[in-house]
Amino acid sequence: MENASSNFDPQVLARISSLKITATNMVDGILTGQHRSRHKGASVEFAEYKDYSPGDEIRHIDWKVAGKTDKYHVKQFEQSTNLKCTILLDASGSMAYQSPFEKGESKIDYARNLVAALSYLFLKQFDAVGLTLFNDAVVQHIPPRSKASHLQHILHGLSTLSAKGVTQIENVLSGLAERLQSRGMLILVSDFLTRDQDIHKSLKLLRSRGLEVILFHILHPDELNLPFDGDTVFESLEDDPTVGLDPIDIREEYQKAIQEKIAQLKKISNGLGVDYVFMDTSIPLQQALSYYLLKRKSLIKI
Amino acid sequence: MSLNFSSPFFLFGLMGMSIPILIHLLTRRQQKHVRFSAVYLLSKSQKRSTKKSNPNRLLLLLLRCMGIALLSLALAGPFFSFGDSEAFRSNAPSSYVFIVDDSYSMRSRIKEKTLFESAIQFLSNLLTKIPEGSEFSLVLASHPARTDQDWIAQKNSFEKLIHGLQPSYKTTDIGHAIEKATHLLSTASNKKKNLILLTDLNENGWDKEVFSEVSNSLNTPLQVFDFSKLAMRKNQVSVESVETRQEFLARSRILKIKTKIKNHSQNNQRLPASLIFDKKTEKEILIDIPAGQTIAKEFSIPLRSGDTIQGKIKAGEDALLTDDIRYFSHKPNQNIKVLVVDGDPGTISHQSESFYLERALNPFSVSISHIDPTVSTLAELPLRSLADFSVVIFANVRELPVGYELELENFVLRGGALIFGMGDQIDAKYYNEKLGNLLPVTLEAAQKFKKTHLLFENNQHPVMRAFSAKAIQEMKEIPFHSIYTIQARDKKSFKVASWFTNKNPAILESDSGKGKVIIFLSSLDRDWNDFPIQPTFLPWIQRWTQYATRGLENFTQQNLLIGETFTQKIDKPNGQWAVRTPGGNLHLTVTTDGKTRFNKTNFPGVYTLFELPDKTLPETITKLPLGAQPIGSFTVNIDTKESSPQKLSNIKTFLPNLKVDIKNPELEVSQLPTSEGMRLATPLFLFVVGILLIEGWMIRKE
Repeated sequence: MENASSNFDPQVLARISSLKITATNMVDGILTGQHRSRHKGASVEFAEYKDYSPGDEIRHIDWKVAGKTDKYHVKQFEQSTNLKCTILLDASGSMAYQSPFEKGESKIDYARNLVAALSYLFLKQFDAVGLTLFNDAVVQHIPPRSKASHLQHILHGLSTLSAKGVTQIENVLSGLAERLQSRGMLILVSDFLTRDQDIHKSLKLLRSRGLEVILFHILHPDELNLPFDGDTVFESLEDDPTVGLDPIDIREEYQKAIQEKIAQLKKISNGLGVDYVFMDTSIPLQQALSYYLLKRKSLIKI
Repeated sequence: MSLNFSSPFFLFGLMGMSIPILIHLLTRRQQKHVRFSAVYLLSKSQKRSTKKSNPNRLLLLLLRCMGIALLSLALAGPFFSFGDSEAFRSNAPSSYVFIVDDSYSMRSRIKEKTLFESAIQFLSNLLTKIPEGSEFSLVLASHPARTDQDWIAQKNSFEKLIHGLQPSYKTTDIGHAIEKATHLLSTASNKKKNLILLTDLNENGWDKEVFSEVSNSLNTPLQVFDFSKLAMRKNQVSVESVETRQEFLARSRILKIKTKIKNHSQNNQRLPASLIFDKKTEKEILIDIPAGQTIAKEFSIPLRSGDTIQGKIKAGEDALLTDDIRYFSHKPNQNIKVLVVDGDPGTISHQSESFYLERALNPFSVSISHIDPTVSTLAELPLRSLADFSVVIFANVRELPVGYELELENFVLRGGALIFGMGDQIDAKYYNEKLGNLLPVTLEAAQKFKKTHLLFENNQHPVMRAFSAKAIQEMKEIPFHSIYTIQARDKKSFKVASWFTNKNPAILESDSGKGKVIIFLSSLDRDWNDFPIQPTFLPWIQRWTQYATRGLENFTQQNLLIGETFTQKIDKPNGQWAVRTPGGNLHLTVTTDGKTRFNKTNFPGVYTLFELPDKTLPETITKLPLGAQPIGSFTVNIDTKESSPQKLSNIKTFLPNLKVDIKNPELEVSQLPTSEGMRLATPLFLFVVGILLIEGWMIRKE
C-alpha cells in the first residue's frame, strides 16, 4: 500500500518525470554510441545495417557490402552484457545541505540527477543497474536489472528518498561486499562527509573481489569555501554537536581540512585503482558528466 | 553591622545592568543559525585554529553587569559600619547640632565672599542632603557661645534662620559652644546624632580648661569643616590699640593719637596707616613693620574746638578688614575754674603758697591748660561764691571762717572738689574738730624726716597714667623733709592714692556726695619739699585738679571691647540716657543702683550718649526727643586676640577621647557627612577600573 500511495504522490510523479527527462536528454545528447562497456558480452548478434557516419568504428564497416554497392554500411549488433552495476547513493542527512545563499540544487538533487542519468545510460547499454540507498545502513535496495522498464523503479526509488541519518559508509560497504557479484561495477555517490577512517579498507575489499569501483564525490561550494560570516551557530544535519563560531576565524583551517579530505580520498582511490570523480554542484551536471565520460573513453582507448 | 549609602539615589543605576543584558539578548537574536553538513570539520578546525574564537560571552556579560553595578554602588557612597543598622542608615532621621563660628575672623574674604558666607552656603547645601524627619539646632561660637536655635524639625525654617545669620565682631569661644552642643545632644530625640562644627580653626577661643570639662561628657564624634583652607590670603596686620592724649605745656592745643599696629605675617611689611575723621583722611603715613612685630606710631593734630573728636585709624588692607580699623573718640578738656586759697600769703610773691600753684595750673596766663585759677586770701573767702568754682584748693590754711565748713560740705555734696595742702600754718585740732564731715582722717602732727620720697611702686592711679617712666623717675628723686601723719577715722572710707617711702600716706582721696576730697600730706610750696620747682609738678597738679573734677573719669575716655558693658555713674536718680550706635540705632540705657548700663556693644565704632529730658519715656525710642543733650561718647573696638592668623594645629589635645574628623569643605560639599562607618566608594571605583581593564583585555584577545 505504501508503494502504491507513493506511486501516486503527485510530487513523486513529477520528480520522476523530471528525472527521466533530465537523464534522457543529458545522456542522449552527449553519449549516444560513445559509451562502451569495458566488459564485452559473450555473444554478439547482428541486428541491422546503418549508413556510415563519421565517428563510427571503421572495423565495423561491412566491406563486402561496400564492394557491392560502393556505399559504406556499418553493421550493428544486438549487444548483450553481463555487467551488473550497483549504484550506492548516500542518503544521509549531510546530503540534504541546502545553501542559504542561493536556491540552487542541493547535493541530493544533484546526486539524484547523476544517478538517474547513469542508470539510464547503463540501461540504454543493456547493462543491469541497481540502486542501493544508505545512510548508516542500507535504506533501500533495488537489485540490478537490465530491462528498460527498470529505470522506472530506480527513478521511483530516487524520487522517494529523503536524506536523513548518519553516514556510515564503511559498514554499508562491508555488508555489500559479500552480496555483490564479482567483476561487476560499483558506483558510490556520496559527499564522504563522515568520520569514518576505514573507507580505504572497505574499498580495498571491494577491489579485491574484482569489482570496478567509481567514486562520485559530490560537494557543495559552501562546503568547500565556507563563505559564511558573522556570529553563526552551525547545527549539524547529522548528529554532530552544534558549534557556535565566527567562520572568518576558522575559514582557512576549514578550507585546508576539506582539501586534505579530498586529497586523501583521491590518494586512496589512485592507490586502489578506483575511479575518483569530484563533483562540485556549482558546475552543471551535464558538463561534469560529459567531461568525465570523455575522459573515461580516452582511458579505454589507451 | 550594616551597609549604608550616603546618596542612595544612585542605586537606581543598578537598573543599568539591564543594558548589557539587553544588548546580549539582542545580539544573540542576530546570531545566524545554519544547518550545515560538515560540522565535525568545523569543530576540528576550531580546535586547530590559533585564533581562539568564541569569546566567553557570558563572562563578558557578567563583567559588564558587575562593572555597572559596582559603579552605581560606588556613586551611592556606601559605608560599612559595625554599629546599629537603623541608627546609621543614611536616610534615617538624625539629630544635627551645627556649631557655626561667627567670630570676626570668619569675616576674612575669599574672592567675593567671606568665610562666613561660604560656611552658610555650605551649610545650606548640606541641609538639602539631610534626610526628611531630621531635627536641627544651631550654636553660635562667638564669645559668649550661645544656642541660637533649639531643636527644630522644619528644615525650611532652619534654612531661613541660617540665611539670616551675620558674622559678629566678637572673638571665638569654641569650648563653651561645644558645651552648649553637648547639652543639646543630650536632649536630641533621634538615635543618630551628628555634631558638625564650621570654623576657621583660629587658635583663639580654644580654651583647654573648658574642653577638659566638655570632653568627658561628649561622645558624639565631632566633624570639623575647616574653612581656613579656602582663604587664599592670611590676615597680615591689625591695629592693636589707639590712645589719645592732650599735651601739657604746649602753646597750642594738640591732640596726640598713639596707635600700635601689629604685623602678623612672616614678611616685613610696608603699609599705609591713615588717620580718618568723618570718612576724610586727615593724615596718612607709610610705616615699615618687621615680621611678627608690633610698632607704635603717633599722630599729632591741633585741636580746633572743644567738640568731641571721633575718628579711626586704618592700617593696610588685607583679607580681614575688620581688624585693620580701630575707632577712638576724644573729648577735649573743659575749662576748670579753680579757687586757690592761700593760707600763708607773703609780701614777696614767690614766698606765697599760691605762687607755685597758680603758675602750675595756668603756666601761660591764658586758658591753654583749660584750668582757670583764682587766688584768694582767707579774708576774701566769704565774699566768693563757691558755685562759680569746680575745685577749691586750700594751701596751708590754718582755719576757715566761722561756719564756712558747712558751706564747704554743701559744695562737696553738690559735686565740688576740695584739695588740701599741708604746711606749718595748719591747725590740726581745728581740722580734726570742724572738718570731721569732710576729712576721712584726723591729722596727728607735722613730722620732720631726714629725707623721704614719693613711692610709685605699682601705682595705677588714673592721675599717674599720663606720666612717662622718665617723669616718674624724676618724681621719685624729689626729697620731702616734712609731712603730716594721720590717723583714720572710724566709719570713714578713703583711699591712699600715693605713699611716701617711709610708709606714710602721701595723698588721700575720699568721695563725699557727688564731690571729692583730696589731701596732700606735704606742702604745695617749697617749705617742706622741692616738688613745686620740678617740671613734673605742673602736670601732676593739673591732673589732680582734673581728677578731682572727675575730668579724668570722663566716659569719653572709655574704650570698650565688643560685647563689654558700658557702665557709668549717673547723677540724677531719674535721669535717662540714650545711646546712638554706630549704625544709627537708638537704645535706652538701663539704670540700677545709681549706675547706668548699656550692653548692646556689638559693633565697633563710636557710640554717642544723650541725656534725655526728665519725663516718662517708652521702653524703646526711634528718634531723639526734644531737649536731648549730647553728653559724650565712648568707643567700642574688636578684641585683637582673634586677629592672629595662627591656626589650631592639633585638636586632639583638646578632645583626646573623641573621634574628631577634620574635613575640607570645598571637597566635601557634595557629600553628606557620615559620622560612622568605613567608606567603600574608593575600593569600588578601583574594582570598576579593574573590570574595565579585564574587559578590554578580553575584547582585544578576541
